Amino acid sequence: MAQIVIEDLAIEYKKPNSDARFMAVEGISYSIEKGAFVTIVGASGCGKSSLLMALAGLIPLARGSVTIDGKTVIGPGSDRAVVFQDASLLPWRSVLGNVSFGLEMQRYGGGDLKERAMHYIDKVGLTRFADYHPHQLSGGMRQRVNIARALAVDPEVLLMDEPFGALDAQTREVMGDDLLDIWERDKKTALFVTHSIDEAIFLADEVLVMGKDPGHVKDIVKIDLPRPRTNDMYDSEQFNEYRKILRNHLAKDMADMRMQTVAEA
Amino acid sequence: MTIALDKPVAASASLRERFEKNRRTAISTLSVIVFLLAWQFLPMLGAVDIRLTSTPLRVLKTAMELVPTADFANDLRISGVEFLAGMALAIAVGIPLGLILGTSRTARLFIDPPLMAIYATPRLALLPIIIVWLGIGLASKIAVVFLGAVFYVLINTMAGVTDTDQRLVRAAKSFGATRLDIFIRIILPSALPAVMIGIRLGIGRGVLGVIVGEMFSSEAGLGNKIMTYGEAVRIDHLLVYTLFVSLCGYLMTTGARLIEERLRSWRPQA
Ligand SMILES: Nc1ncnc2c1ncn2[C@@H]1O[C@H](COP(=O)(O)OP(=O)(O)OP(=O)(O)O)[C@@H](O)[C@H]1O
Ligand SMILES: [Mg+2]
Repeated sequence: MAQIVIEDLAIEYKKPNSDARFMAVEGISYSIEKGAFVTIVGASGCGKSSLLMALAGLIPLARGSVTIDGKTVIGPGSDRAVVFQDASLLPWRSVLGNVSFGLEMQRYGGGDLKERAMHYIDKVGLTRFADYHPHQLSGGMRQRVNIARALAVDPEVLLMDEPFGALDAQTREVMGDDLLDIWERDKKTALFVTHSIDEAIFLADEVLVMGKDPGHVKDIVKIDLPRPRTNDMYDSEQFNEYRKILRNHLAKDMADMRMQTVAEA
Repeated sequence: MTIALDKPVAASASLRERFEKNRRTAISTLSVIVFLLAWQFLPMLGAVDIRLTSTPLRVLKTAMELVPTADFANDLRISGVEFLAGMALAIAVGIPLGLILGTSRTARLFIDPPLMAIYATPRLALLPIIIVWLGIGLASKIAVVFLGAVFYVLINTMAGVTDTDQRLVRAAKSFGATRLDIFIRIILPSALPAVMIGIRLGIGRGVLGVIVGEMFSSEAGLGNKIMTYGEAVRIDHLLVYTLFVSLCGYLMTTGARLIEERLRSWRPQA
């Protein structure tokens, strides 16, 4: 049986300045195998972050259910760790302090906490910067800290919300390679939201394409590229095929978005 | 991906900064010197009445006589005890109450109207009623300092708590943080700089409270002396006490600011 089972999921939010509610996500059913790397793409506002937060147990569900390893998700748990889309490092703690934070919250009792945190700081290549504070790091380094903090608690499932969103194309590629290296060693189940089509294909076993109004699953694209992934794959025929499929989906979204703006104007 | 972060500021920029800083210090020092010279010599030229202004040298001489006396020490002790007790009370009440009000919306709604009513009242206008209730001794002055300072501590603490970055709270929750964890590890550290701002502002109000309280009604203390020498038109004595109070206030405020800056050293420089 699949590790993560999402059934008929719906998420509601309150509209600003009124008591009315609206559906941000509706009718999502999807299953993920243990150890799979799933990337999620879709137009801005289609509910990617909302879906991830629901899996993390950080927001209530309006309908449906999420089960992980047979247990229904009712809140955050040590089986999952999140890398957030926006700033979420504690500014008053050093890199070491931030990576230790998750372990402290989970009452880590498996030996030397500092040693373990340093191990993961080393994994993301920041050993030299362990004593730095977040404001002294570059955007890419901060995201590495975020990833190290999530990896350090050794979750079964890694939920990543555009972790490379703020980075330039080159840094993104390097970080993507590093992330795959780490993932291939530990084989955690990974969900990864991105706006980059190439990134989505390169990292994934499966790309979940989401549509808007309300957020729903539009398509699931299996990526049959061999692992480990290498950079020359970007130029392959197969990669191009996947690119076309995804671009088609997203282009349609963009066309819809333009229509909508015109209609609203 | 290696990024050198060791030498972020170019040498020429730091040189110019130093020059600019020296220039500023020089101008400020000059302004003080000009003021002191004018104060010293204008009365000699007959431009102002020396009985009303005294002179800096005269004030200095009086200070050297007055400050070592047991009488001065006694006044300082009385005012100091009033101030410190009132301030300690303001901190002991203001911080916990601010934390509670910042955390609980219900508590905030409940306490907001009376709080704002007292906050909007000039605290010194409450002096007569405080004296009626507590007499002209220690207690009434402690109450005045307390009332002057507690709101600054309380309101800033509250603002520090409500301004906590919710994204950090959410991140903590994702790692299974309990409510107590969130309070201790997220809310307290992010509110701490604001708490210090409240204490610093409270110190200023507290000093004001002690002096005005003593001027209004007391048997001893620095404020009492300021009033006495003022009525006797002994300007040099009056100024010794006034300047001493200013100095105390300045030193305490500066100390609080230094602590404040240390506490927020993790913030990016503006
Ligand atoms: N806390 C909230 N309160 C109200 N509405 C919200 C909230 N969070 C998200 N929404 C709404 O839900 C919808 C989905 O938002 P979500 O953040 O999940 O989108 P997303 O796909 O992650 O977008 P992006 O790619 O821009 O990050 C949007 O319409 C958004 O306005
Ligand atoms: Mg998002």
